[in-house]
Amino acid sequence: MEIENQGFLSHRVRYWLGCYALLIIPIGMLSVFVYIPVLWAFIGSLYAFEVGGDSEFLGLTNFIEFLFRDPTTWPSVGNMFFLTGFMVVTRLTMPLIVAKLIFSLTREPSRYFYRVVFLVPIVVPGVAMQLIWAGMIYNDAGMINEFLRAAHDWVQLRGIDIDLEGLTRGWLADPRTALFAVAFVGFPWVGGIDVLIYYAGLSGIPTSVNEAALIEGCTGLRKFFLIDIPMVMSQLKLIMVISLIMGIQMFEGLFIMTRGGPGFRTMVPALWMYFNAFSFQRMGYGCAIGVFLFALIFGCTVLTFRYVRSTEELEGRA
Amino acid sequence: MKSVRNLILHFFIGIFAVLTLIPFAFALNNSFRTNHEIYHAFFGVPASFHGIIESGRLVLQGKEDTTVAFLDDEGEEVQMPAGEALREHWDTATRGYTLGWEILRTYLLNTLFVVVCVAFGTVLSASIAAYILSRYKFPGHRALFYYMIAAMMFPGVLTFVPSFMVVRHLGLLNTYWVMILPYIAGGQVIATYIFKSFFDGLPEDLFESARIDGAGHLQLYGNIVLPLSKPVVSVVIIMSIFGAWNNFIWPFVTLMDGDLHPIASGLYVMATSQYAQNFSTLFSAYMVSSIPLLLLFIYATKPFIEGVTSGAFKA
Repeated sequence: MEIENQGFLSHRVRYWLGCYALLIIPIGMLSVFVYIPVLWAFIGSLYAFEVGGDSEFLGLTNFIEFLFRDPTTWPSVGNMFFLTGFMVVTRLTMPLIVAKLIFSLTREPSRYFYRVVFLVPIVVPGVAMQLIWAGMIYNDAGMINEFLRAAHDWVQLRGIDIDLEGLTRGWLADPRTALFAVAFVGFPWVGGIDVLIYYAGLSGIPTSVNEAALIEGCTGLRKFFLIDIPMVMSQLKLIMVISLIMGIQMFEGLFIMTRGGPGFRTMVPALWMYFNAFSFQRMGYGCAIGVFLFALIFGCTVLTFRYVRSTEELEGRA
Repeated sequence: MKSVRNLILHFFIGIFAVLTLIPFAFALNNSFRTNHEIYHAFFGVPASFHGIIESGRLVLQGKEDTTVAFLDDEGEEVQMPAGEALREHWDTATRGYTLGWEILRTYLLNTLFVVVCVAFGTVLSASIAAYILSRYKFPGHRALFYYMIAAMMFPGVLTFVPSFMVVRHLGLLNTYWVMILPYIAGGQVIATYIFKSFFDGLPEDLFESARIDGAGHLQLYGNIVLPLSKPVVSVVIIMSIFGAWNNFIWPFVTLMDGDLHPIASGLYVMATSQYAQNFSTLFSAYMVSSIPLLLLFIYATKPFIEGVTSGAFKA
């Protein structure tokens, strides 16, 4: 770029200023709506404050209360780990199995057809899906109970004395089943996008590898475990990180379906944060729970990246 | 041998597909049934469909005045001519949709407005930022890029409560801005990253020759960069549409005015209102709320599948 002096600002400086000017809006929005809240979260966690009210400096009191005195904390952390673990396991297995089944079909049109079929449910808003599960499947007069009642009648007619009707319940309202019912939402957990991601991984396996496996007589389940899974480790690692991050933060579905109840059976820290901040007006305490969850997410992500090997790392390429 | 293997594969994939779609199939089926039907028999096809076919057949045969029995809402039998019965059956089948549409219309329009603003704003903001950070060298360009993508490190759960305080201090509560600006600010981060990786790969010769032809900075961006990045733009648009469409808790917290709700929080508000037990209407509303994305889906399946299958999604 040639430089000539025009006025008191050199060409180069005006060129720089132009760049900064165009970046003002993106960077400004980012600062206002992301970085200021981040700072506020850390600072606010040291205070007690209400919306529009006074604030009082507490030091680490919020954290001490959350970690040692709040009786909700550890049961809710346990629930969170159960739900997150369940989600990680299901998202690592079910879509991969389906992707492998689809990939094994011979005709491309049918493979495309099934990829579209599993993608269709993403058009239903998440809220609607949770309301459908809560209102139509787990309900007193919902699908599971109606099915049990029908099965009960069928069994009784044939003189078999099994009390299936006794199993009916409000699945989300019964303390013994609520947590499992929440985890079970979305059965059979075959997310269309996950299927696509695994499918991409499977079709990325070089033909030479597949041919070598065939020649060596490595087929079927053995090939799935010895060749396919190591070759899609990069995708598995991605889904694992995403579902860990999502699982730890997840509370919208619980808010819609159970509000943490019955009792605190389905309470998770993120939902507890919401209630503290917006129902009990304890914004500082809410910020502290947010900081705790951030630390947890950060730790889990670092551990995953350190200990789970992607395909490239397995091959020694990265 | 091959066909037997395919048949078995179809069978198992079919089971998974059916299990995945069953809740939505039941919601669709029940959206055409009356509350009376849903409460008394969970499984079953809409009675009004049967009625429509029966009375419709009579009408088509020109026997509109034949008296037929019609079950009203209380389950009582009323005698009426076939023509009238056909209309009554049609009304029964679509009653949920009429009411559901009436309630959801405002929410849907709000969502459409917000989603268009968010998608447009994200593409504009992210592509300009990425273009400058990728193609121009100035003091701090690297630092600004890291400043941008480091935002990915902070999860929504950390900023949820303080974001509320920020928008409250800016006086944005209860306005459309509260949904538009934070979504653009958050969504542009990953979008900038995607755009920048794409722009970095464009050959410098392209820009050189355009500059020699006398193209200014804006023309470079508008005439060369944007048209070339169509596939990336569509990925970013689809991502921001899905994000804005599905976000529920943020609008639920920041909008007290019921008329501003987008579809996600609107559905929740509806399901906890006086319609809570009105399953026919609720199921119709769920189906209505899926139509816009279904249309988008039909229109954009191919680029979407290609985008996700391109192999970029791995860690």
